Amino acid sequence: MTDHPTAAGPADRTGTTARRPRPRIRPLTAAGAAVAVLLLAAAAFGQSLLPGWDAQDIAAGARMPGGGHLLGTDALGRDIAEMTIAGARSTLTGAALVALGSMLIGNVLGLLAGYLGGWTDMLVRRWADLLLAVPALLVTLVVAGIGGGGYALAVCALMVLTSPSDIRLVRTAVREQRHLPYVEAAETLGLPRRTVMLRHIWPNTLPVAVANTLLNFAGSVVALSSLSFLGLGVPPGAPDWGRMLAENRDLLYTNPSAALAPAVLIVLSAVVLNHLGDRVLEVFSKRGNA
Amino acid sequence: MTTSTPTAEPGPGAGTPTASLLDVDGLRIAATAGARHSIVDGVSFAVAPGECVGVVGESGSGKSLAVRAVTGLLPDGVTVTGGTVSLGGQDVLGLGPRARGALRGRRVALLMQDPFTMLHPQLTCGRQIADGLREEEHPRRGRAARAARRAEVVRRLAEVGLPAEIADRYPHELSGGMLQRAATAAALAADPDLLIADEPTTALDSANQAAVLALLGRLRHERAMGLVLITHDLRVAFSSCDRIYVLYAGSVLEHGPAGDVQAAPQHPYTAALLASEPSVFRRKDPLPSIPGSVPPPGSRGAGCPFAVRCAHVAAECRTAPLTLAAPPAGAPGADRRRTACARIGALTALPGAAGEDTGDAGPRQAREERTAGAPHAGPRRSDAALVVEGVGRRFGTGADAGHQALSDVSLTVPAGEITALVGRSGSGKTTLARIAIGLETFDSGTVRSGPVELRAGGRPGPADRRRLAAHTQIVFQDPYASLSPLRTVGATLREALAAARRNGLAVDGDRDQAVLALLDQVGLPAHYADRRPAALSGGERQRVAVARALAARPRLLICDEAVAALDVSVQAQILGLLAELRRSQNFAVLFITHDLAVVRQIADRVAVLSRGRVVEEGTTAEVLDHPRHEETRRLLAAVPEREVAD
Repeated sequence: MTDHPTAAGPADRTGTTARRPRPRIRPLTAAGAAVAVLLLAAAAFGQSLLPGWDAQDIAAGARMPGGGHLLGTDALGRDIAEMTIAGARSTLTGAALVALGSMLIGNVLGLLAGYLGGWTDMLVRRWADLLLAVPALLVTLVVAGIGGGGYALAVCALMVLTSPSDIRLVRTAVREQRHLPYVEAAETLGLPRRTVMLRHIWPNTLPVAVANTLLNFAGSVVALSSLSFLGLGVPPGAPDWGRMLAENRDLLYTNPSAALAPAVLIVLSAVVLNHLGDRVLEVFSKRGNA
Repeated sequence: MTTSTPTAEPGPGAGTPTASLLDVDGLRIAATAGARHSIVDGVSFAVAPGECVGVVGESGSGKSLAVRAVTGLLPDGVTVTGGTVSLGGQDVLGLGPRARGALRGRRVALLMQDPFTMLHPQLTCGRQIADGLREEEHPRRGRAARAARRAEVVRRLAEVGLPAEIADRYPHELSGGMLQRAATAAALAADPDLLIADEPTTALDSANQAAVLALLGRLRHERAMGLVLITHDLRVAFSSCDRIYVLYAGSVLEHGPAGDVQAAPQHPYTAALLASEPSVFRRKDPLPSIPGSVPPPGSRGAGCPFAVRCAHVAAECRTAPLTLAAPPAGAPGADRRRTACARIGALTALPGAAGEDTGDAGPRQAREERTAGAPHAGPRRSDAALVVEGVGRRFGTGADAGHQALSDVSLTVPAGEITALVGRSGSGKTTLARIAIGLETFDSGTVRSGPVELRAGGRPGPADRRRLAAHTQIVFQDPYASLSPLRTVGATLREALAAARRNGLAVDGDRDQAVLALLDQVGLPAHYADRRPAALSGGERQRVAVARALAARPRLLICDEAVAALDVSVQAQILGLLAELRRSQNFAVLFITHDLAVVRQIADRVAVLSRGRVVEEGTTAEVLDHPRHEETRRLLAAVPEREVAD
């Protein structure tokens, strides 16, 4: 959308009738997508495929890798490899919930604010400003701390506190489309405003919303892990990368992989999701443009 | 590809070059990705010192790429694959990026279309001109040198007709016309031998357009500088160039002295282009148009690329390789011209700018009437499609920041007639159109759009919006933004039909049938219903936009510069379509335009808007033949068309 002529006059654009070639998939993106699928599979099926993930064997505690334990064991003798896979569930589902919930809030409020303008816009913008002004992780800490450290509470607090970025992004995208001729044409057809909003404007703002959701997903993985690391996320005993990192950091000299495995996965999922978010934006922004 | 360099011939003026400044020979440009389609197929042209060469062609002809290759500033994704470019005897294509960069500014400079993005927004105009000055002639260091540079900048500004204080202004403080002058001064700072102007006047209104063209013409004479003018506007090219190259689908189809080409084109494409250009002096009835559109790269077969659209096509056109050859001896200036038409010997005189159509029998008088005056003296209020009375609209707030876009505007659009609203940019014509369809509010006065009375100060409510939608529809300027990019043409039209039905229109029969009927009405085949806008050309998109507007069977159609962004051949198609639909469905049209030739071609009545006021109103013939107001005369004088003697 960057090469529109600003005034009268044809740009040398060929309105081709040929089909646009499918976007080429880059090797890096393919690898990222594969990792993401593996991580999501671990989150979905990990605990049911490995029912023995929390089997304890204190006699075999804090062992280095080997002897039936691919990544060694933790202080209680639990298998690190199995526990890491099982831990994908709480970290990734929580983060996904945060990202999706934030996307929902952001799309609804952003669409209303951007399209209706006026008072609605003012209120939504002030609300977003307010949420942006407070440090998200700190507030979540306080809320989770006061509420007794529940996992659900942490997820909800993060969701609300992540939403302003979505609200602002969607609102800006809506305002960009708002006065394009095709939107005004829809209005002059006498279509109800709801239809104009949902059928004409919203689909054209999706690329940024989807991409931002993936970025929020990545950020939430890190944020939720931090909370668990601080003991405010999942309850003790539950498998979770942040929690494992906290509990196993004492074993750094006896079995380093006990702390490194969850740490690597936190970083890996954040990087992969970030990359996919960028690619989605790139590919989807070209959709509809020749 | 055989290339014919014009034979040397002594003599100044519109003649052939004596010694070439720029020589492009067999230039080929192709895409670097995908199927590597060829975009420019062996284009050759030459420019002599002090000569102005026009390169004309429709969108997709490759004219911009072919000329820009000289500067080495090709966009990503395309590359030169063959041919030679020699600038003052020096081979340009063989140079490295650094050596080529050194050529820019000093040997060749580029002036582009959009004056608002051509200058750096955060540097003063003077600084940008000073940065281009030659270091050896205007050294930077030392107090005396700085004063001298400053004096030189002021001199350069004076050269383009700008006062000295512009040197300290930032680009956003200047108007479009002033910016284009400042950009010209910056482009010429290093005294190039050749200036390439790529659509330099397209973004300007007609008054500024004429001024910038006059400026470029004067500068190239004074500096004995070569000038290449790339434009889609035939009137601009023929009014200011010595020689013309006509490009189509990546090939030169014809070239020669401007006057001769205009008077007696030697290629059917040139003839058809000239014929499809409306004239400000007379109405062409019907306005000839060229069917179809420019074939995209990759779908061009052997032989003449124009063959599929040509009215004079024969079997040999599709097979014979494209060769530029001298036209038959009888043609004016035949020895200095070349045409790629294989059949030119067999074709009898092609029509020139006067606009006859060879394919059509019948007396010329019937086809070229002077616009007849409307039968009645003044529009009757009772059956008017739109009545605007005393409307004012002010933008912005604050004591001095406000801008009075419209003040006390009254206008009546009679039912069933085409009323044109003309004015230069900023005159308020688009604001008035948007008010009439409820997209913009107004401060005072009354607007009655058919059955709906719009009130000052507020937007129409839901019920009024629906009644308004049933009566008034709009077609916008930019065909590329007029359609929702993710929806198919069929989905867009189905929705328009559904909305029309909800707004009270009795639609008989099946919805899909109705979509096909709409497509048929605007001359598009049925299978276009499954296409998305990205797969359509500009003209096709504009047809879909017209079809969407007509779904509601409106009594008033507002066209906001609806043909301004289209090529002449496509513009002629859309103008013909609008005229035909108006005849068959008898709706009124409010046609907003800056182009008086289009007004002559299509409108029954004209209103001239200047600084938010209607300054003149009457039938098209009255206003254009006997303008009473200064503004109308100014608009007419700025049209770059010379009346061709009948």
